[in-house]
Amino acid sequence: MWFRKSVLVIPGRVIALMFGITLLLFPLLTADEATLRIVTFAAIFSLYAVSWDTLTGYTGQLSLGHALFFGVAAYASALLDLHLELSVWLTIPIGSCVGAFIGLIVGLPALRLRGIYLGLVTLAFPIILSGIIFYFSDFTGGEAGLYGLSRLAEDKITAYYIVIAIVMCSIFIMFKFTDAKSRILRTGLLLRAIREDEMTARASGIDTIKYKLLAFAMSGFFAGIAGGLYAHYIRVAGPSTLELTFSIQVVLWAIFGGMGTIYGPVAGVFILYPLTEIIRFYPYGEEVRFILLSLILILSLLFMPEGITVWVRDKIEQECTRCKVINAATRRTCRACRAPMYLTKEENANQGKE
Amino acid sequence: MTVPFLQVENLTKDFGGLRAVEDVSFTIDRNEVVGLIGPNGAGKTTLIRLLMNILKPTAGKVILKGEDITGQKTAKIVNKGMASTFQVVKPFRHLPVAANVMVACLSPKTKRKGEWVKTVELRALDALEFCGIADLALEPASVLSHGDLKRLELARAIATEPELLLLDEPFGGLSPAETTLVAGSLRRLHKGGRFGRLHSEGPAMLIVEHKLSELMKIVDRVIVINFGKVIAIDVPGNVVKNKDVIEAYIGKGGK
Repeated sequence: MWFRKSVLVIPGRVIALMFGITLLLFPLLTADEATLRIVTFAAIFSLYAVSWDTLTGYTGQLSLGHALFFGVAAYASALLDLHLELSVWLTIPIGSCVGAFIGLIVGLPALRLRGIYLGLVTLAFPIILSGIIFYFSDFTGGEAGLYGLSRLAEDKITAYYIVIAIVMCSIFIMFKFTDAKSRILRTGLLLRAIREDEMTARASGIDTIKYKLLAFAMSGFFAGIAGGLYAHYIRVAGPSTLELTFSIQVVLWAIFGGMGTIYGPVAGVFILYPLTEIIRFYPYGEEVRFILLSLILILSLLFMPEGITVWVRDKIEQECTRCKVINAATRRTCRACRAPMYLTKEENANQGKE
Repeated sequence: MTVPFLQVENLTKDFGGLRAVEDVSFTIDRNEVVGLIGPNGAGKTTLIRLLMNILKPTAGKVILKGEDITGQKTAKIVNKGMASTFQVVKPFRHLPVAANVMVACLSPKTKRKGEWVKTVELRALDALEFCGIADLALEPASVLSHGDLKRLELARAIATEPELLLLDEPFGGLSPAETTLVAGSLRRLHKGGRFGRLHSEGPAMLIVEHKLSELMKIVDRVIVINFGKVIAIDVPGNVVKNKDVIEAYIGKGGK
């Protein structure tokens, strides 16, 4: 009953549900290893993009060096795996905890800085770290990185399911964590409030420092999970995970999908990442793909400035003007309060006469 | 000797070379409503911001209930029982009106653990009801008119259940009808009691206002400042006859 009343009536949720089921059944649809690999990467990157969205989209703390958390966790898992030979089920959580700790450290300047200045500081962190990694190349593998990590699982399909399960659970936790309408966890509302106006939040008696640091730690933790999964999936933790392009890419994915919504970055990654990978197989693909990607981004920002998911959502869903309950766009009356959602042309004309 | 509820000692604030607030000292008792008036640029808003530590004072002390709260975090001060509204309204524009107030209901002071029924929403609604904008509870704050935003600001402040309320121009930009309404609400709030689920401590108030005719009806005492200095602290009847006050407002030779 709950399912019918709160999921099946809202088209957006139906689409999300269908998407989730498709992901779970994906190995049955295709046995092609390359396709499976692309989808696995897309899942990992979507977790990474969602963690960026929690920090920047919801809390309003601009992070332009998000690869830091991803890379730190990847290296931490790799070092634990190679030197201490811990199991994958320990290295990834410990790696993500390192990510959360780094998040707290990066969060400290955020207590004084705001907007683009914070962005510049966060931008510097991964560059510093990659400098350190190149300097201590005996320990960190330098340019080549650390390779030969243990696999997530022996065969590809099990690895795929491990990644999908962890990513889905993490994204669900993030969704609950940032949901402003939640009645159980109030963090979502408070993070929104901090983004809207920090001064007012403080004057309302909210310790904004605590919540900002919490957002940084959460973001670092989940980006860390993504980093750990990535390192163990490709079995290499290299300096490419700390690159500037990787930090910027997450911004592009999230903005294309829609900032400040958890499903936006997921959609952004699952549309853009496979696209760029598929283009590669065509002639001149390697050269053309960034031009094409930029073109898509420019066009989408021109016509869908709030992101593709928000654009689609506004087409298929409408909010009741009276009780603010979300309805399918096809409904004539609100499903909660029975108020008419819109008037037909005839009704409109009649209303004028009366 | 009893400790005054709020004691301000030699509070001073410099903006570079400009001394905006100079050596201001006054006290507020627990059951008092005090007006703070002065010509434009006298330092009234600065004074309120200093009390809330939104601005750091250059020198001086703020003592609430015998405890020195100078330089403490704004959020901490709010949780000690002192709340303020802003002169320029700053709502969370993209959040619903009710959510604006709910944020204040979630501060450590007002958050009550182990409540049987989750009452954060209900308390927020009662605060809105008290200020007369409960019918707008679900609208985003960005669609509200200026008068409604002023009242939302008041609702947010009283939702923190303060013992001392600093109001920065609560009637600024309100129509005469709205002014009477809000003035009535303030008087009711000062008496204290319960408004639905919202508990009012019957806060002491410090009101900055330019509409003197309305203000004088509410307040017990008036503090007049000019160029950052206190020039008179007296009951309303005497303040309007005070020579320094008349001089500050309409210049020398005024009657």
